Amino acid sequence: MARQKLPATAVAVSLALLTTGEHAVAQNASELETRLKAGTSSSRSPSVVPFEARALTPSFRYSSPHLKATGSASAQTVNQRWYVGDAEFAAEAATNTYHGIRAEILGNASRVQYDVAGISQQLDLIGRLHLIRENGGVWLGSGIVRPLRITTVSNVSVSSGGVWTKVGPATIRASFTNWAFTRFASNDSATATDFSCASSATDAFNASPSAASSCRRESVLTDLEGGVRWEHHRYEVSARGGHRFGQSIDVLPTSRTYGSAQAAVWLSSQLAAVGSAGREPAQPTRGIPARNIYSLGVMLAYWPIPRGAVLVESPANLVKAFEMRPAGVALQRLTARIGGVEKVEVMGDFSDWAPVPLVRRGRDHWELLLPMGAGVHHINMRIDGGKWIAPPGVPTIRDDFNGEVGVLVIKGS
Amino acid sequence: MKNSLIRSGIVAATLIAGATLLGAQDVRDRSGDPLGKLDPQTRYAVELMLDSAKLAGLPYGPLESKALEGISKRASGRDILVAVRRVLRTLRDARSALGPLASADELTAAAGALRVGISGAELTHLASVRDGKMSLTVPLIVLSDLVTRGVPRDTASLTINQLLRGGAADDDFLGLWRSVERDIVSGTDPGVALLNRVRQLPPRVQAGPPAAGVRPPEEAKS
Repeated sequence: MARQKLPATAVAVSLALLTTGEHAVAQNASELETRLKAGTSSSRSPSVVPFEARALTPSFRYSSPHLKATGSASAQTVNQRWYVGDAEFAAEAATNTYHGIRAEILGNASRVQYDVAGISQQLDLIGRLHLIRENGGVWLGSGIVRPLRITTVSNVSVSSGGVWTKVGPATIRASFTNWAFTRFASNDSATATDFSCASSATDAFNASPSAASSCRRESVLTDLEGGVRWEHHRYEVSARGGHRFGQSIDVLPTSRTYGSAQAAVWLSSQLAAVGSAGREPAQPTRGIPARNIYSLGVMLAYWPIPRGAVLVESPANLVKAFEMRPAGVALQRLTARIGGVEKVEVMGDFSDWAPVPLVRRGRDHWELLLPMGAGVHHINMRIDGGKWIAPPGVPTIRDDFNGEVGVLVIKGS
Repeated sequence: MKNSLIRSGIVAATLIAGATLLGAQDVRDRSGDPLGKLDPQTRYAVELMLDSAKLAGLPYGPLESKALEGISKRASGRDILVAVRRVLRTLRDARSALGPLASADELTAAAGALRVGISGAELTHLASVRDGKMSLTVPLIVLSDLVTRGVPRDTASLTINQLLRGGAADDDFLGLWRSVERDIVSGTDPGVALLNRVRQLPPRVQAGPPAAGVRPPEEAKS
């Protein structure tokens, strides 16, 4: 049967792509983040029915040193009717680090709606070893994948490896993922992800002993991918691209090369404009064809901090970056990256030791412009009204009041 | 026409500079009396020490700053007085050690070093080995921090001495400090971390002859 060439547009909630699976930043403290995304998106595929929708997607992300969990479920409207759309729950547990290496186990349950009637559900379980250094890491792992309600594939296993590094505000990664699975084909159908026995090379499929009208094949695919995630002030951008290796009977031309990009611009501390575009390869184990995805929307984010909560971790560990840069004559721009907190203040001789709140400029970016001339300055930082601490990354001295202050040396121009 | 363009340029530059300055928060409280929150007795004593510093030609900003810091950190009047007195004393000692030409920043940094146990004689020695133009501010800040983090005083002092003789620049000292701090945080013995990192510095800053007595702590114990 000739492959269908119907132009198609499918709606998906691809805004979820914004929460990409970067495992680059080792978290030192617990952090809970909730988001609500609203927008419209579409995808085009040569083999599925057009599908467009507006979607409302609540999601959460929790991370602590040993456990990370994310979840999302979208409600989408198509032809003025509401449906449950894409949904995903993922959890990642990690051991302590020994000599820079830790073991991780990742579980994932997901549901993808790729056209009006097409729904795919899948369970993944992957274990891996991760060598982590200060500015990079390497991982290697393998696991199993169980597509639900898919009768055309079985015995899916996956192995993967990769490397990541941090370069300034950017995280760059490269990875390979190898898929091996048994594919069943029938004599009378062929789609973008299913093949007919008759259309295949004679030795590509072996006749199934159980049914003369079907055959099966051991398929192997390898994805080689590269990606970058960049965050700066109010901008978050991530992009990935890849190439799929495998025999032509397993990899259609539409899935050979793919890539996508997502961007978020934080308009305020909790509101961002988000968009994404790109091409996703087919997922043969799930029966999802290759598709082009576009999305545009807005996102509300919130980082709840329980009132009266006591920080178990040292507040200094929450500070991922602290920087002071010249911003003009006798002006310094203080920037800090601190996630999961509601208020950050500094004080020092430059403010006559009066607390000054930093302004939130993005998800975890805080900023303040300070009039500060050349010379030696003493500075303290406070997070969510806690103890005054010396900011990380600067020399410290004792303050005579049972604490420490950071020492900044501002050079003259 | 040309004058008009110049005037427009000046106005635009003034507006841009003004907007930039307005963008910075006026974080100092200029309206009130910053020491007004001290009790009268403490305030009187602090003001006496400020006057003493002025008369002695010492920078009095660090004294006032220490008092304001104490107020902000809700220290008692007695603790504030003790802290301000200590700053005044160490500033005096710092000037004795570094000489009358030392800058206010150098005196402040040297006062910090004295407070972590570096002796006046060691400061004098450090001042004598530096290149004439070089400021001691950053080396002394690094020295104080290293000692605070657990590097043995002699090891830290002699290492800074050696680097000064090698002509190390401020960036060399700050780079060394960052590396040592990272090692200490990851569990390395502070003294060993310093000596290991010094060996990795560029040869140009290790030009000075090895400072006598600089040995890893475990060797020193044996």
